[in-house]
Amino acid sequence: MSALPPIDLVETADPIATPRRVALVRPDRRPSVRTTDEKYVMTFPNLIVREVILFQVVVIGLAVAAILFDAPLEGIANPLETPNPAKAPWYFLGLQELLHYFPPVVAGVLMPLLVVVALVVIPYARINQTAGPLWAGAGPRRALTLAAAGGAVIALFGVFKCWPIVVPTAGTLVAMFAARGGENGGAFRRALAKGTLPEWIMVWFAVVATILTIIGTFFRGPGWSFVWPWAQTVAF
Amino acid sequence: MTTLSLDSVFRRLRATDAYRSIVRHGASATNRNRSLIVFENLFLHVHPVKVREKTLRFTHTYWLGGIALACALILTATGVLLMFYYHPSVPQAYRDMRELEFVVDNGLFLRNMHRWAAHLMVFASFLHMMRVFFHRAYRPPRQFNWVVGVVLLLVTLLLSYTGYLLPWDQLAFWGVSVGTNMAKEAPLIGEKARFLLLGGNIVSENALLRFYVLHCVVLPVALLLLLSVHIWRVRKDGGVQGPPEKPSSREEVR
Amino acid sequence: MPEKPHTAAEQPEEGQPDRRDFLSRIGLGACAAAAVGSGLVTLDFLKPKVLFEPATTFRAGSPSDYPDGTVRFNKEQKAYVVGSPGGVYALSAVCTHLGCITRFLSDQSVIACPCHGSRFDLEGNVVEGPAPRPLPWLDVTLDSSGLLVVDTAITVAHGKVFKA
Repeated sequence: MSALPPIDLVETADPIATPRRVALVRPDRRPSVRTTDEKYVMTFPNLIVREVILFQVVVIGLAVAAILFDAPLEGIANPLETPNPAKAPWYFLGLQELLHYFPPVVAGVLMPLLVVVALVVIPYARINQTAGPLWAGAGPRRALTLAAAGGAVIALFGVFKCWPIVVPTAGTLVAMFAARGGENGGAFRRALAKGTLPEWIMVWFAVVATILTIIGTFFRGPGWSFVWPWAQTVAF
Repeated sequence: MTTLSLDSVFRRLRATDAYRSIVRHGASATNRNRSLIVFENLFLHVHPVKVREKTLRFTHTYWLGGIALACALILTATGVLLMFYYHPSVPQAYRDMRELEFVVDNGLFLRNMHRWAAHLMVFASFLHMMRVFFHRAYRPPRQFNWVVGVVLLLVTLLLSYTGYLLPWDQLAFWGVSVGTNMAKEAPLIGEKARFLLLGGNIVSENALLRFYVLHCVVLPVALLLLLSVHIWRVRKDGGVQGPPEKPSSREEVR
Repeated sequence: MPEKPHTAAEQPEEGQPDRRDFLSRIGLGACAAAAVGSGLVTLDFLKPKVLFEPATTFRAGSPSDYPDGTVRFNKEQKAYVVGSPGGVYALSAVCTHLGCITRFLSDQSVIACPCHGSRFDLEGNVVEGPAPRPLPWLDVTLDSSGLLVVDTAITVAHGKVFKA
């Protein structure tokens, strides 16, 4: 996209005479392009009925789950008796698993904070606006940079013996390299080849978070030792 | 048809002045009336009168935001009902949980609904965030709405966490203890934040009461306000955005 | 609902419901049934089935403790147990005006309410004041060991004295 036309700033108090530019959306950054004939339908009943049906389906699904599965209720809280293991709610078990490898400041404060900051920054990071497919027009330098970065991450987490992060990172790296040259393959390979770097990073994050949570939920028993899922009862 | 059919009864009811004073549009047989149904309703008029047909498909957004919203509504309804039997004091809270389980009609069912809806809401929120990310629906003009969404995710996690303590059983007590001990590790503010959250140095009846107020008043109000902003922004940004569309041949667009 | 044009073969009679109307009625009817059911279930949920309130019955000694003219006041249960020539009876001590606890003035042989000046005689009839009704008479029975049992939750007819 070539240079944008210069902005003419005109000072006036009349809001109608001079249209104010409130938000500039560059054509090369727009995710969706308005085609000339979009089919519109009435909100009522089309959208409203779908929303009502979705609500009913969710209620029915939850009601069936509520009838079949009981929420856990253990003995009354006893501050003098710590159960073994003492587990946080499932959405924090990924963090609790990380505690096994890193000091609490890192696993409990630093990493979650970094994750939240990274999430908030996503729409404002330039790379998310302009990134193309990972290997599109990329030379051998990109492969080297990627391998080096991935190797550094693996080495860093390997030093702390954090296998739940090392293994998925290696797997994601393999997939990223497998996507190279995939534009001429089958449908799956083509879809893989379209992934941008930010999307690959998000995939990596999702896989790592899922694996950490699964390990923390199903594979950790007394003393945070490794157990097989069938050897313990899991409470949600 | 006899004049006493249900149809004619409803029709006569709809013709009364009392009904017309509440519902000002006619039956939905005309586009004008279908517009009015949405336009004149406080709750529905966050929708536009017409929507792009493309956005109605399941594969457009997988309705994940809608699932999270449905869970929030179910949690509010079941939560309020559970509040009628729950005292946030020690050890009465635990006795109330047993009472709900064994004595109160449908107490177990409502508690189960509440718990599973809570888990589903957290899970659906994560999936919704992933969906928005991979559809690149955080790009201008939707950047701020993404940030509001991240804050909503945090509020959802906090709601789940504060609610987790309320049964006051071993699972609740120690689950929350682990969490607050993790928070304590934050430099400078960790200890103070934990003291404020727990209303003391240990997880005790003060903590239970504070978590109860957070769970039932503060966080639901925050959720309501943020959700309103979030949904309003979706509307103002042009509706839900699903998979990025291919550019027309006239423009080269990413 | 928007109407789709019917083919000639399916044309319904004037005013008769077609398939779409029928199905939408079943759907709405099911929603209505679910809403009514939810409402009833909610109401049932809200009614407590087990109450943790104190018992309404109490022991009042044996009938021989109540010669004619004895008036005993049970503070916790808010009741007077009175001995009369015909037997024993019990009165509620709660003033029928606005619920204050009355007191027995033995020198005047009258039950007086401190709140608004209502006065009752020893049979509970209103003698003075704004009380609209006489004090209710409470159920008196004998238990297996020969002791009097008063139930403050059961009222009996005015004047029904328990003969030991």
